[in-house]
Amino acid sequence: MSHLHVDELERIELPDGFVWRPIRRHFDIRAFGVNAYSALEVGGPIVETHTEDQLGHEEIYFVLRGRALFTVDGNEHELAAGQLVFISDPSLKRGATAVDEGTVVLALGGKPGHPHEVSAWEAMFAAVPAANREDWPEAIRIHVEALAERPDHPALLYNLACMEARGGRHLDALLHLERAVALDPKWAEYAQRDSDFAAIRSEPGFP
Amino acid sequence: MSGYEIVSLDDLDRLRSTDGRMVMLPLRRRLGFQPFGLNAWEGTQAGDQVIERHRELQNGHEELYVVVRGTARFTLGDETFDAPTGTLVHAPPDTFREATALEAGTIVLAAGAKAGEAFTPRGWEEFYVAFALLAAGSPVEARASMAEALARDPDAWQGQYNAACFEALAGETDAALAYLAVALAKDPTVAEHAAADEDLASLRDDPRYAELVK
Repeated sequence: MSHLHVDELERIELPDGFVWRPIRRHFDIRAFGVNAYSALEVGGPIVETHTEDQLGHEEIYFVLRGRALFTVDGNEHELAAGQLVFISDPSLKRGATAVDEGTVVLALGGKPGHPHEVSAWEAMFAAVPAANREDWPEAIRIHVEALAERPDHPALLYNLACMEARGGRHLDALLHLERAVALDPKWAEYAQRDSDFAAIRSEPGFP
Repeated sequence: MSGYEIVSLDDLDRLRSTDGRMVMLPLRRRLGFQPFGLNAWEGTQAGDQVIERHRELQNGHEELYVVVRGTARFTLGDETFDAPTGTLVHAPPDTFREATALEAGTIVLAAGAKAGEAFTPRGWEEFYVAFALLAAGSPVEARASMAEALARDPDAWQGQYNAACFEALAGETDAALAYLAVALAKDPTVAEHAAADEDLASLRDDPRYAELVK
């Protein structure tokens, strides 16, 4: 389907308390990043507090409906429908909470001078509902699909290993965790504390 | 430069096309946003066109339209539908699309780029801005935008031809003929466009024009 209303988009409630409405993924847009966000409740988070240091994205947050209280680089700004904040500096911390019931914020972003790459976090977010209902085959499928495009993405490999460990695919989990750690050793430290790996922590080869 | 900026749609310039049918809110240009194309289009009256009928075959852009105010009637391929505020419309490059406002003040956001390629702004934005500013009585700003557009792709006949139209509309006949001569040298079929183009009407009584297009 090539058109729909923002309220018809999938609602994916994320552990940090905001709701991801996947636009890019719905239409399989490949040329740029675009998503919508809503909140679980008035006063709750609607844009996760983060920087774009890792991805180097310029971002625009556009209030499509309602009002949102943005905090950018420590400064608070209440934006109403029809207003936007353009954040050109990836290092600035940004986040927002919903002021009105039903507030929707559009997020548009990309890295200047580079072809758009689908962000790995999209697959991790998309797998949350399957993981919540412990549908490990589906959560694994979503990660494997993303890895087909980004085979050496350490965070994707690590998350895939988490899902495989929870789903009883212990050998696959060890192999993918080993690959994630080889690409970025910090994941070994995370794995030590991660309850997802309880079932394989005593296995030979666990980092 | 604080690294961020807050803007309202109401703060953006309204640039009306020379034929009066379209009103652009030049968002990407206003912000200096670089990753992909982003503009908004306003229908000041019900029935105004907000997205002109076109495809994106030449530049291969996929586009997403978001109705951010009012309601628009879209045609996408063979389908026609009403799109209230909050509607998202995705158009692949080879699909015809167009939209008209059903309410005064309808605004549609348009984002676009080619998958797999780094985005670079196209000259059409500056050309559009140049003609709109000229029509609005701001010739100095208009000329600056025309210079930007020409600098972006100086070898294309389209730019030279647009400059000819611009100068003809501005009453600068000598400059218009000079640009037209360059455009014709780059592509002789430009003469066919010129023959039907009202923008060049002021040149047609000049014997140098007849000499150029013969």
